[in-house]
Amino acid sequence: MTKPLPKEYYKQLEEIQTADFVVMELMLYLDTHPTDQQAIGQYNQFSQYSKQLKRAFESQFGPLQQGSLNPSQTDWAWSESPWPWQV
Amino acid sequence: MKSQQPFTSAKSYVPPHSPFDPCPPIGRKYYSTPPNLYLGFQPSDLPQFSPADALRKGTLWKVFYDYYDNPYRKGAGKSRD
Repeated sequence: MTKPLPKEYYKQLEEIQTADFVVMELMLYLDTHPTDQQAIGQYNQFSQYSKQLKRAFESQFGPLQQGSLNPSQTDWAWSESPWPWQV
Repeated sequence: MKSQQPFTSAKSYVPPHSPFDPCPPIGRKYYSTPPNLYLGFQPSDLPQFSPADALRKGTLWKVFYDYYDNPYRKGAGKSRD
């Protein structure tokens, strides 16, 4: 079993999940309400917040997706376990 | 006329059972009628949950929250918030 992950890892991951959920809900809403400015404002706010959270998370705990930046120049971090969905 | 029960999203009916039906009667069957059925085109600026709540409740807008309890499980009558 890999070493237990710090509590911070789970806290930030849940924060990312929350932000992404709001983004997803608003995306579906905006598909049918393209002119709702309030929703567009909220969408942009949360989308930016989510990117910010992911940048902070990845700098601290490694890549979240395959396409993410590799933290070090020497070894490939993506193949190390655990993957975000395995925690 | 059936008595006017309070509005719930869990509805039920009893399918008719024929005397010639070899199988035992099914009894009461349940189906769910979530809020989105009663709300046509979604109006804008509906009240929302906080993001953390929204993740737990499964929807961003309060009006669409629909708690589901398995009616077939014993003692499933009580609805939890």
